[in-house]
Amino acid sequence: MKHSWIALTAVALVATGAVAVTYFMPVAGAVSQAEASAGLGDISGFRKIVVDTAALVDKGDLAGAKIRIKDLETSWDEAEAGLKPRAPSQWHAVDKAIDGALSALRDSAPTVAACKKALTTLLDTMDSNGTHD
Amino acid sequence: MLNKVPEVTLIFWIIKIMSTTVGETGADYLAVHVGLGTGLTGGIMAMLLGGALLLQLRARAYVPWIYWLTVVLVSVVGTQITDALTDGLNVSLYVSTTVFAVALAAIFATWYAAERTLSIHTIVTSRREVFYWTAILFTFALGTAAGDLATEALQLGFRLGVLVFGGLIALVTLAYYRGANPILTFWIAYVLTRPLGASLGDFLSQAQQYGGLGLGTIMTSAVFLVVIVALVAMVSVTTAQHRNGSVGDEA
Repeated sequence: MKHSWIALTAVALVATGAVAVTYFMPVAGAVSQAEASAGLGDISGFRKIVVDTAALVDKGDLAGAKIRIKDLETSWDEAEAGLKPRAPSQWHAVDKAIDGALSALRDSAPTVAACKKALTTLLDTMDSNGTHD
Repeated sequence: MLNKVPEVTLIFWIIKIMSTTVGETGADYLAVHVGLGTGLTGGIMAMLLGGALLLQLRARAYVPWIYWLTVVLVSVVGTQITDALTDGLNVSLYVSTTVFAVALAAIFATWYAAERTLSIHTIVTSRREVFYWTAILFTFALGTAAGDLATEALQLGFRLGVLVFGGLIALVTLAYYRGANPILTFWIAYVLTRPLGASLGDFLSQAQQYGGLGLGTIMTSAVFLVVIVALVAMVSVTTAQHRNGSVGDEA
């Protein structure tokens, strides 16, 4: 038992040390404390997908829009651990708006009007909680 | 009946921490990327866990691959319970962390009242095994809720998370050497390795713009899974040798 505790501490310390080294190194594009008030920071990559999806909806291509917004679902989910701590309440606001857009497009009988409305809400939510170029 | 759980060794903690990461990213992958949704994924995982638990309860002795398969699946289901409460039912993380902590304490109280011991070295009856796995399920649920709470409410993020949870484990170790109860310190460390493993997984998988190493969740999970399988295979060989070499002395 004693031996295993030494081992666990060793694992914890090695992991901690490895991360500590990078923690104090500047990270390209990471938000500093001063910038944190700008909400989630630059989320233009996610916004671009919403703009693409909205363009497809405008053309009446709801099937294509449904495929395109899947890219938003997966990339947003993958970035959760990185994005959420920047501004948790803003993250939840955008996350909820994304859920709204996903369910509008995945409805068994989706309508252009409902999809447009959900995507407009999503764009507004993104713009008030993050930045983009 | 022989003791059905492994000795707590270096490999034990490494596999435990890594199974946490695989548990979280694996379920997430099925729900979002494969598109099964959280409900269906949860159902599938609960069924798989049921099967693994049945195998574990029926085994006559500690079988490494069955034991660790069960731990990985408990990790997945424990995480999903917390996520379902938080994302599905909008339960505050303050509430779920408190409730899971109280529930875990109640499990230990019942376990002690029934068995007069909480020793993890004497999991030698089916009833003790059920207590053991119920406690483990709740350590994962509590670890997920407490870890998410630290990330959100305290805005720790995964890099600071690794430092904080690693540091807390070091403190628990210090307490152990200063004479704190070995069983208590074991379970506290067990809970803490959940958020440590999650932060470590995030650190490896998240994009560099967020301060991660940018391996991606799929690559991180695949690497961890390969390492877990290799370590379990290694443990299986040494367990078999040990058993053949000293019959009846299996601890």
